[in-house]
Amino acid sequence: MKSYIKSVVALTAICAVVAILLAVTNFVTAPIIEKNAAAAANEALMIVLPEGEDFTQVDLTKYELPATVTEVYTEAGGGCVVKLVTAGYGPDMVLMCGINANGEIAGATCLSSNETLGVEKTYGDNVKGYTVDNIDSDLDTASGATMTTGAYKNALKDALNTAIIVGGGSADIRTEEEKLADNLKTALPSAEGKFTKWFVTEEVTDVSEVYVADNGKGYVLISGESFIAVDSDGNVLTDVSDDVKSVMSANVEAIKSSELTEIDITGYENMPDAVDKAYKTASGNYLFELHAAGYGINGDKYTASGEYINIKVSVTADGKILACETVSQKETDKIGSVCGDASFYSQFNGKDETNYGDIDAISGATITTNGYKTGISRVFEAVKILEGVA
Amino acid sequence: MKKDGNLSVLVKGVLRENPVFVLILGTCPTLATTTGVIGALAMGLATMAVLICSNVVISLLRKFIPDVVRIPCYIVVIAGFVTIVQMFMHAFLPELYELLGVYLALITVNCIILGRAEMFASKNKVLNSALDGVGMGIGFTIALLAMATIREVIGAGTFAGIEIPFMIDHTVGIFVKAPGGLMVYGFLIAVVNIITKGKVIKKKEFSCAGCPSAGVCNGGCANKKEGE
Amino acid sequence: MDFKGLIIILMGSVLVNNYVLSRFLGICPFLGVSKKLNQAVGMGISVTFVMLMATAVTWPIQKFILENFGLGYTQTIVFILVIASLVQFVEIVLKKFIPSLHKSLGVYLPLITTNCAVLGVTINNITDGYNFVESMVSSLGCGLGFMLAMVIFSGVRSRIDESSIPNCFRGLPVTLIAASFVSLAFFGFAGIIENLFA
Repeated sequence: MKSYIKSVVALTAICAVVAILLAVTNFVTAPIIEKNAAAAANEALMIVLPEGEDFTQVDLTKYELPATVTEVYTEAGGGCVVKLVTAGYGPDMVLMCGINANGEIAGATCLSSNETLGVEKTYGDNVKGYTVDNIDSDLDTASGATMTTGAYKNALKDALNTAIIVGGGSADIRTEEEKLADNLKTALPSAEGKFTKWFVTEEVTDVSEVYVADNGKGYVLISGESFIAVDSDGNVLTDVSDDVKSVMSANVEAIKSSELTEIDITGYENMPDAVDKAYKTASGNYLFELHAAGYGINGDKYTASGEYINIKVSVTADGKILACETVSQKETDKIGSVCGDASFYSQFNGKDETNYGDIDAISGATITTNGYKTGISRVFEAVKILEGVA
Repeated sequence: MKKDGNLSVLVKGVLRENPVFVLILGTCPTLATTTGVIGALAMGLATMAVLICSNVVISLLRKFIPDVVRIPCYIVVIAGFVTIVQMFMHAFLPELYELLGVYLALITVNCIILGRAEMFASKNKVLNSALDGVGMGIGFTIALLAMATIREVIGAGTFAGIEIPFMIDHTVGIFVKAPGGLMVYGFLIAVVNIITKGKVIKKKEFSCAGCPSAGVCNGGCANKKEGE
Repeated sequence: MDFKGLIIILMGSVLVNNYVLSRFLGICPFLGVSKKLNQAVGMGISVTFVMLMATAVTWPIQKFILENFGLGYTQTIVFILVIASLVQFVEIVLKKFIPSLHKSLGVYLPLITTNCAVLGVTINNITDGYNFVESMVSSLGCGLGFMLAMVIFSGVRSRIDESSIPNCFRGLPVTLIAASFVSLAFFGFAGIIENLFA
């Protein structure tokens, strides 16, 4: 029993002494460790904001910031560093952007990115000195990486806006979709914010996109930067010059005449297999729903996933493409799938049989691009058959 | 052993009873931290510091610690010193601390330290225990450096991060990877076997009592020479 | 945490980051106890069991006690004591209630106390920022990986014993070189995890 107690006492005593020693050491070293950690964190921040010193992290809940922002640090000199996560061409990339007291970008770096090598490198220094006012217009696109550039620009804009907000100012942090919705609502309040995009099947002048009010109250035509509202009777509601008014009224007349009639394609012997459905508009244009073969095609048929790329194309009777849109696709993610992006398919707008092949191919997805082009070529054949000129 | 002179206590750890190549103790850090010379040196010195301190303290307390709880006591003392070393490295040598990572904490279970506590410090005077710690620590550090030099020069073409002109263009990457570690270790033990042929103390007689695996291994890990 | 992530952790710790063959933890028992297949299996099961128990105890201790009271720096000492007493406790419980299991595993238990793989896995689970379920899965994977390496290597060793080797390579050197080849074979698994679900 005595030895038992002795054991316990000895072990307890040793534990106690060791614990005290540890506490003392910790007391001495903890502040140094903390200082080192802070210095290391500062060093990382100084990569993007070299003149910065004495960074403090900002409590994000205090501000209404863009959703992509994950961390914000302000520094004594009035600059700040913003860390954000954004979707690039590939998986999400983590970006850190330093902004100096004048609201100019002092540096930016990708902390993690699986972007095609080289793109982020060309960006590091190129973005220096830009502000929220000139970044959209002046920043060059990284060649061959349109999507990445877009994502990168948006991220940098978010960072710049964050810097303004944290600095006490106000900035427009709406996403593109929100901006569009807001602009539509302002242009035609009577539609109560509910619009459907009109698929272009008529030749319209000076208009990039048309939105139709769901309640039939009218149309909003986007011409350049401006949103022009026209009521259902063709009266232009937005204050623009008379010339523009007459053009827009004519456009709306054209839009109104775009009622579709389905054509029974089984009656046409040589109709390409690719065409699923064909419609004719009152003005004599055509709208086709067709499928194209993508990557992994075997005998012009299937994609790797066993799925077609479904495309919607409107074309005039003499074979000029009015609009083109990818309805659905299952191409390789991040490679062939770019064919589902407006930056790709809108290239076909205005093309005809002689020059539809001139579009930029999707890099790394030649087969998808070629399959898509073949699909488009079927449209020209179909038009000729329907017009009886083939 | 108790009658050995101070000098021989110090020197024996370097070659004759080299903990790594002869006693085969502390194999885990030997293999894991020898991909580079700097890491190996840091690991060697950190282990030496813990070894000396724990040897001294355990030798001081050898009459105070009851036999039944000696192993837990040793572990507490060793773990305490390891943590102190960890904290100091974290504070003053943060880069090395990051480099060694979990292996720093694992000095606690390095058989060398517990083995020396059990085999030597608990039976010897403070001065001798300290010298034993120094000797063993130097032996351990030299062994790690030898391993690391071979692995880094051949595997990465550098020495302590400095590029070596010819080697940098002819690296054999596998040497800095796991298989290379085991291979180099095997060859080095064979070399030490040749150098000290016949004079090496058989591990079975020397340190198996201190080895936690003793119950099952029965000296199976030592250089058992069949037919002897 | 989704199921896929857990599978990746499990497969990763069994094959790619095998504790013995690529992280060099638990080398002593790996070399000492891999001579016979039944010993290798017994040791492997014991280690897996203790790893799971140790993780189940140390993870809550770290999260709820050490971190709450700012005692993170005592991690090493607390963990090793917890593991040591846990092993003792398990041994007593097994002896009392499941003597048959104690008979087959009992001899391996004491040597696990100072097995750096067990301490290593508990610390790694914390530094890797795993949650409780992930930690348990990772421990299971490490234990299974340890056992796999032991079992494979015991097969290799039985062949070494039968071959004629230069004198100076007898014993440990040739064992280590053989282990190096087994480790090389495990290199083949590198990269499969990322592509497992791709």
